[in-house]
Amino acid sequence: MRGRRPDRQPNSPTPATEPDSGEQRVESRAASSEEHPEPRTANSEGRPEPRTADGEKRPGPRTADGEGTGPVGSDRADATPGDTVGAPPGGTAGSATARVVAEPPAPPRTPHPTPAKPTAPPHTPHPGLPGRGVRFLWRRASVVVRLVAWSVLETAQTFLMGYALAQALDEGFLAGRAGVGLAWLGVGAAAVVVGAFGTGRVYGCVAALVEPLRDRLVRGVVERGVREADDGALSGLTQQVEIARDTFAGLVMVSRSFVFTAAGALVGLFSLAPPLLLVVVPPLVVGVALFLASLRPLARRQEAFLVADEALATGLGAVCPGLRDITAAGAEESVADDTGRGVDAEYRAARSLARWGVLRVASLAVGGQLPVVLLLAAAPWLLARGVTAGALIGALAYVTQSLLPALQNLVHGLGTSGSRLAVVLRRLAPADEPSHAPRRGPGPAPAPMTRPTGPRQEPASPPAAAHPTAPRTPAAAPPTPTDPPLPPTPPDALTLSSVTFAYGPAAAPVIEDLDLRVPRGTHLAVVGPSGIGKSTLAGIVAGLLLPRHGSVHLCGHRVPGATSRAHRVLIPQEAYVFRGSLAENLGELRPKPVPQEELWAAAEAVGLTELMERLGGPGAEIDPGALSAGERQLIALARAHLSDAPVVILDEATCHLDPEAEERAERAFVRRPGTTLVVVAHRAGSAHRADRVLVMDGRRVAFGTHDDLMTRSPLYRDLMGTWSPTAPVPSSPTAPVLSSPTDLVPSSEPALALGDPDGVDPVARARLAGDGGHVVAHGPVGQMKAAGDLRDGGTLGSQG
Amino acid sequence: MTTLTDPGGHGPAATSTDPTDPATARARASGTSTAPIAPPASDALLSATVRYSARRCTALVLVALAGAGANLVLPVALGRALDLLLTADPAATRWVLWCATLMLLLAVLDAVETVVGGTTNARATAWLRRRLTGHVLAVGPRAVARSGPGDLVARLVGNAAQAGTAPATVAALLAALAGPVGAVVALALIDPWPAGVFLVGAPVLALLLRGLARDSSACVTRYQELQGRIAGGLAEAVAGARTIAAAGTAGRTVARVLRPLPELSREGHRMWRVQGRAAAQAAAVAPLLQIGVLATAGALLARRQVSVGELLAASRYAVLAAGVGVLVGQLSGLVRARAAARRLSEVLAEPPLAYGEHRLPPSGRGRLELRGVTVRRGARPVLDGVDLVVPAGTTLAVVGRSGAGKSLLAAVAGRLVDPDEGEVRLDGVPLRALDRRELREAITHAFERPALLGDSIEDTIALGVSRPAPGRVRRAAEAARADVFIDRLPHGYATRCAEAPLSGGEAQRLGLARAFTRAPRLLVLDDALSSLDTVTERHITAALLHGTPARTRLLITHRPTTAASADTVVWLDGGRVRATGTHRELWRLPGYRELFGAGGDGSVGAGGASGGVRNVGRSGPAGPAGRAGRAGRAGRVGRAGKRSASDGVCGPPFPARGET
Repeated sequence: MRGRRPDRQPNSPTPATEPDSGEQRVESRAASSEEHPEPRTANSEGRPEPRTADGEKRPGPRTADGEGTGPVGSDRADATPGDTVGAPPGGTAGSATARVVAEPPAPPRTPHPTPAKPTAPPHTPHPGLPGRGVRFLWRRASVVVRLVAWSVLETAQTFLMGYALAQALDEGFLAGRAGVGLAWLGVGAAAVVVGAFGTGRVYGCVAALVEPLRDRLVRGVVERGVREADDGALSGLTQQVEIARDTFAGLVMVSRSFVFTAAGALVGLFSLAPPLLLVVVPPLVVGVALFLASLRPLARRQEAFLVADEALATGLGAVCPGLRDITAAGAEESVADDTGRGVDAEYRAARSLARWGVLRVASLAVGGQLPVVLLLAAAPWLLARGVTAGALIGALAYVTQSLLPALQNLVHGLGTSGSRLAVVLRRLAPADEPSHAPRRGPGPAPAPMTRPTGPRQEPASPPAAAHPTAPRTPAAAPPTPTDPPLPPTPPDALTLSSVTFAYGPAAAPVIEDLDLRVPRGTHLAVVGPSGIGKSTLAGIVAGLLLPRHGSVHLCGHRVPGATSRAHRVLIPQEAYVFRGSLAENLGELRPKPVPQEELWAAAEAVGLTELMERLGGPGAEIDPGALSAGERQLIALARAHLSDAPVVILDEATCHLDPEAEERAERAFVRRPGTTLVVVAHRAGSAHRADRVLVMDGRRVAFGTHDDLMTRSPLYRDLMGTWSPTAPVPSSPTAPVLSSPTDLVPSSEPALALGDPDGVDPVARARLAGDGGHVVAHGPVGQMKAAGDLRDGGTLGSQG
Repeated sequence: MTTLTDPGGHGPAATSTDPTDPATARARASGTSTAPIAPPASDALLSATVRYSARRCTALVLVALAGAGANLVLPVALGRALDLLLTADPAATRWVLWCATLMLLLAVLDAVETVVGGTTNARATAWLRRRLTGHVLAVGPRAVARSGPGDLVARLVGNAAQAGTAPATVAALLAALAGPVGAVVALALIDPWPAGVFLVGAPVLALLLRGLARDSSACVTRYQELQGRIAGGLAEAVAGARTIAAAGTAGRTVARVLRPLPELSREGHRMWRVQGRAAAQAAAVAPLLQIGVLATAGALLARRQVSVGELLAASRYAVLAAGVGVLVGQLSGLVRARAAARRLSEVLAEPPLAYGEHRLPPSGRGRLELRGVTVRRGARPVLDGVDLVVPAGTTLAVVGRSGAGKSLLAAVAGRLVDPDEGEVRLDGVPLRALDRRELREAITHAFERPALLGDSIEDTIALGVSRPAPGRVRRAAEAARADVFIDRLPHGYATRCAEAPLSGGEAQRLGLARAFTRAPRLLVLDDALSSLDTVTERHITAALLHGTPARTRLLITHRPTTAASADTVVWLDGGRVRATGTHRELWRLPGYRELFGAGGDGSVGAGGASGGVRNVGRSGPAGPAGRAGRAGRAGRVGRAGKRSASDGVCGPPFPARGET
């Protein structure tokens, strides 16, 4: 029993410690499809791990003004293979083999190579939100200058309002010259009109700050959504971005208004009579300081409130769709307790926030109202120093009509929307924390851009002929633990050596100590019960998931590596078809537009011709929603067929096709020149057609040809039995399990002990009609309903 | 293999009840009488909310009125003090002190209002939310029937918060009215002229402010449309994330999704421009009004008809009077609160599921009877006079096309929904008459798409009337074949549900494990095996049938294997029972075969009927199993089939009634 090394605890991803703040908890779960449990493991941030383990360059921040680093789609360079790396397929005579490794396992490779430089996150250093804000503004200095220029008009208005009033009184009304007074007031009115014009213009400048921020946030959300498959991104896009937009605009307006109004008022006070400043400024400074000091605790309360509010919403978001389950389980009390706790927490946070609001009132009283009292108290002193009655009235007007409202707006605006913005921004544009979530860099052997770039090499002989008859008897399978050293032959299409994978340091491994060698041109089928790790294996082979131990090589290149993507194409169950032209969809994996003839040829190969004609040829615009799941899969298959990658991994990519269409598609890849095909099988036929079959059963695996496995793997028989449309398979439960040399059972136990009460029944069964040969009853992704099944008038009625 | 039940254990509180007819009749009577259907009007809810905060409301009214009063007195005091100061009158000091006191008072009142108002809102909101969630939980699945769970969440979160502001808004309303009115009166007391100027200018203000509302909504639609296009592209990409990750086309995809962004940005700029124009108008109006008042007062000052202090006061009153906008804001806040309260009272109008007080007879083993069960959605009967008896300890499979009413039948059998007509009984006791805990302990469900409630995987399995022991959770997970993937999760059973990357089949197994933690009399599986692969399904069905000797099972299924493993199959069609019999018997009917996608050849399915789970656990090849079991057939469905656990099958022989 080797291969289990529980003591090995490498520095794999740190476990999730923080609560996931994502919304739509239930929905996102319901939407995840059968059989794809892998990459949503949470990292320390509670977000799904980035799916790119391939050293993909993340384009740098791009702003509306065009600065920033990477051009859109720069990573395409990685995905343009120009080769099949060498020689004809079937190097070792179609002998897909696996072995029990005899040599000591390779020293455990650090599962996470230290983050390399290409993974520069969007914002290189991370000085936190204020720093980023300052940089954001700095880059838009011209807009800020315009904003300042228009704001000066408001300053002028503020200044004139008080100054004109003072002059109107002193020179006009108090001097008995009503006309002069009215003229001065007319000046004030004109200033109001001009100032209002400035206010209108200020909005334009604010837009020039806010819209780029929105663009940038949308970009970030889309990038993260695409790269991390984060369903939460959608709510981020529609709601949080808008909150950020509005609060940021409010913030700019309010703080700008305070600065320029205060400036206008202070200049006005000075020009009326400098001693006035001595009375007004000290309390104003104290008030603002008090407010600034209270900002942090207030923001913390505000944030606590927002968090509690969101937690409550998230909790209710789980409860409401789950009402059916709650009622059915009779769990009303416990759920009521839980939500009650959420309600109470929110209440406490709101109460605390309200209490801290006293600080705002205090800073307003000191900064805005105390100067009025002081002006009155100091009036005799001021009058004695030649301050006129008009100047005194003007000063009072400055304080009560300009400073106080501006301060009021500042205190209320900054206090609430400031922390709201901070919370939302932190969520939308998180500064990457390299210490917690190491971005996965390329493998230790980067080999940047140095793959052969010659034209695609056609194999000497048709591949179909090169490996048409993989031996179907166990005897014919060559004994392999002793790999004949074949130095001149090209590397195998795929090798896995002692690969172990788990979704967390504490989690049981999904795959343990797996060795596998797949020569070029092989057609390999992977079978096993659902959730056993077939897709995980596909992900490891494709380099989307990093094994805890062991290494993976594709065509001799380390996976993940800079060029590994050029060597394989992975088509998962849920076909990705996007709104755009058909040609665009099909040529997605090619660097340049694909010629029409080639598109038609690929369509013909996989069986897409009919659909292509119906849609109106390659140029037709397609609406993914209008296509059936099977049609989308055909498009994805044609896309893979058109790609240049020599290794094609179909991860149940044909599950929505009928058996004939599936066979046609698989054969298309078998016939495709120089292609090694790995099929995660959905039906028995896939395994039947393959040269080699890998049977996965938990950590145990069995490997061989179909016939071979039929005799020695009870699980395989069982899977075939329920699948197989053919007559009963030989039922010889006494077939030796370990006798075959090609046995690949890392732990030396029979694949499934007979008589194991938990085991499967070795007796063949006639196929049940209606199972359709499906090994997995898949709820197609598109049809997945949200967990709240009991909906609407039809709730219980319409379904079922 | 785990044994899932301790036979005879029907929950801790199983006491004796007499399921005779008078008792059930009483129970039914009491059941219906405890369902008050008196939808409270929105205003009733609103005033209830205000009443709940009555003391705070009163305090707030007093504070706000005091504040408004102080605000009205202050300009006069300021003016008087200024006049005295300008004339160097010794009484000035007293007036300055008065002013200081007033301002201090204002600050204190403001502080009190901030705190009391804020806490009142929070308190009322919490009260509403607690009341509503309690009600929603009591109503059960019907609460989301009308508009869906998302809408309900919006009501509980957003609308409750809006309605919760009602008490404080009502309290502030009086003061908000008193302020501007008092200011105009005070202005008139100083001199009628400035008041006249203000009253003439005010309509202009109102008109211009209306312009703001008219303009701004024009380009929002286009903006939202573009936003929707980006969101649509993102949704596609998120669904195809694995493809994109594998192909490394993230950059390309991002660029494509973001194609509408420039236009979005243009529309955004336009929105700001429109808003800027409106804001400029608004910014001009109030100061111009004030200047008008000042000019009038100034002219009067020049003629010595008012003092400098009175001019100051007039200008302050003009500002206060222009604060009529505050009143408008308060009013619209109240309107919002009222609209929110209306949406909340809609939720409260749904009557809760009422329970009786009866208990099940301790001797019963789960005999389920449906008598003339009819359920309508609108006028359409979704279940139409269904009569069924499932003998204790047997397994009934329900098959039929989608829309035939299968899930509804399961829901009625487990009393997630009450039938409009007819009655459902468990061991002779009508479900309506049963005590809630008794009912939920006696019947458990597993669903096609279980909602994974609770913090951790363990919590979600343990969800129920009472919390089962951890060991039991583990054993149930094992029986549901969930232990394998749970062990692979980052934190095993402690993994948070939100962080567990679960497929549909895995979620389904958690739901099954939840059902397996209990030892109910009736187990209802509503298509709960549909996402499992056939091997796993067989294992679970085996656990279901053999690990649990004494319970009755109702299986909704689309799969022939499951139907074959049941003692009896009911074929539901258009809400009616079309045929009843064993799978093998029904298989002779072409229409039945078509349900499973099989064609005319009936032999395949007949053979299939012997397959399934029955062999599991036997040491040797047993051949087509279940034969022995099938031999021992009991009478009609109504007669309880005796069943030995080892036989595995004991189907009533019920000949296929054919297509009725």
